[in-house]
Amino acid sequence: MTITIMLIGMIGLSLINVPIAIALGFVAMAAIALIQGPSMLPDLALEMFNGASSFPLLAIPLFILAGAIMNASSISRRLIAFASSLVGFVRGGLSMVSIGTSVFFAEISGSAVADVAALGTILIPAMKSRGYSKEVAAATMSSAASLAIIIPPSIPMILYAVMAQTSTVKLFVAGIVPGVLGAVAMAGAAYYQAVKYDFPAEQRFRLSEVWRTGREALWAFILPVAILGSIFGGIVTATEGAGMAVLASIVVGGFIYRDLDFRELKKACIDGGIQTAVVMLLVAASALIGTFLTEAQLPQALGHAMTSITTNKYLVLLMLNVAFFVLGMFLHSAAAIILVIPIVMPLVHAIGIDPIHFGLVVTLNLAIGQQTPPVASVLMTSCAIAKADIWDTTWVNIPYIVALVAVLLLCTYVPFVSLGLVHLFYGG
Amino acid sequence: MTFQLLRRRYEQLLEAIVLILMIALTVLVIVGAAFRYLGNALTWYDETASIGLVWLTYYGSALAALRGAHIGVPGLVNAMPPALRLVVTLIAEAVVILFFVLLAWYGLQVVIVLQGEHMITLPEVSSQFTQSVIPIGATMFVIAEILRLPDVIRAARGRGFLDAETLEAMSHGAPDATGSTGAH
Repeated sequence: MTITIMLIGMIGLSLINVPIAIALGFVAMAAIALIQGPSMLPDLALEMFNGASSFPLLAIPLFILAGAIMNASSISRRLIAFASSLVGFVRGGLSMVSIGTSVFFAEISGSAVADVAALGTILIPAMKSRGYSKEVAAATMSSAASLAIIIPPSIPMILYAVMAQTSTVKLFVAGIVPGVLGAVAMAGAAYYQAVKYDFPAEQRFRLSEVWRTGREALWAFILPVAILGSIFGGIVTATEGAGMAVLASIVVGGFIYRDLDFRELKKACIDGGIQTAVVMLLVAASALIGTFLTEAQLPQALGHAMTSITTNKYLVLLMLNVAFFVLGMFLHSAAAIILVIPIVMPLVHAIGIDPIHFGLVVTLNLAIGQQTPPVASVLMTSCAIAKADIWDTTWVNIPYIVALVAVLLLCTYVPFVSLGLVHLFYGG
Repeated sequence: MTFQLLRRRYEQLLEAIVLILMIALTVLVIVGAAFRYLGNALTWYDETASIGLVWLTYYGSALAALRGAHIGVPGLVNAMPPALRLVVTLIAEAVVILFFVLLAWYGLQVVIVLQGEHMITLPEVSSQFTQSVIPIGATMFVIAEILRLPDVIRAARGRGFLDAETLEAMSHGAPDATGSTGAH
């Protein structure tokens, strides 16, 4: 009963545009005052402190910062040149380059919005000048950037791992194969569009060019791979790896390439701090509500309700997929993870779904959610750069979304796609 | 001092705090990892870094409040006629301010109770200092919310609100974000 009133209160406050984190905090505060008595209210302040205190989540601001530093140097330009030498000869060369560069960039960045901002500002004008419509340019860049959260490091994966109490590192490893498959599927969609709209190839394939651009982009490759390797090998934790990534990007941008833009860097640092704070406030407030959810046994009740309909793992996964797909249209991806994961995890465990496997399914859903309006951060950034209409772009974006959904379904029903590498690395 | 200037100065203050916290956290994690790797782990590093994240959460939240960057659901409010939208928005603002006023007050109670307590791994640092972020951060959030109120009322009367994702997208979509021009 209490929990029903609380849920209505949270949804009601959110709908009048009280920030979600504060809607949760306010309702929890009212519940503490009314149920446990006003003398317990100082607990609220303690919980809001403890809820935000997390060593694993510290990886979030650090990975945001590392990506931002890379953006503030010439790394994106070098990676684009290298990708052009590799795949520019294919029809629709610039679409292929967008996807290829996004694959490389994803090893540095854990946020698709950051990727689309860094690469889109260069590649979208280039595509437009080669006769791509602004909608095609925006859609291609937007979907390609979604690889950032599928290929490690990934900020949604870090959040999921903490919320689901599972391993960030294993989740990172599980993202590698689906990320590559996503890139291949999107390249297929890009080729289809290139034929449909008759887009040109960019340059002849020359090994000397691959060698030259590859050498110029060498550091942008080696360091992320070395850092991810140290994380996968257990030499450093994900948070420490994120710290190393910051250090590495400062060394590469500031001392090797010597082209760091410090003004841009300062802005990125502050913006990264704000993004982190917004997510962490939600984490802290959800911890307050979590206590009440646990007492009311709501997650267990949901689990029972679902298992009374079916205990078929694949049917439950289908239902969860549909739920997350719809949520992704309307909810910020971080908010979706923080609010929903604690509620569905008991069900996931009860049905016997591997939490790492489920984490990949959730991440892919959110990658798609960032492409599906009305709430679609990545698509909106891309459209802002291309000056394209969001709904027109969505129409053109459908082949890419279909490609991502195909990868999602493959990962959902063939757990080996995500878990194969995890088992190879860590056994089990 | 005009209201706009006051607001700008306040934003700069919060920006400076957030910038310092980001740099400090990064340095701390790198140094901590280096010491652990060299077999001489700093016992206080995990706890200090976690507390640093709490500080970043609340000072960063105040800055986010000033910029209207907290994640919300503005769709329904935007669909309302402006007169109703203004009333509803003022209620929402009251909820936000009330929550942080109470959080500041009870945070202060906690700080008072913690007299004599200290960090587990770093006994030199009192818990009163680490926990001070709740009353101070909550107070700064309230100030930020009040400073943004004129903008909020203008948006409520005018075309409505942007959601956090759009704002984030716009902050990244700035045309000067190419990063291709060097500082050297």
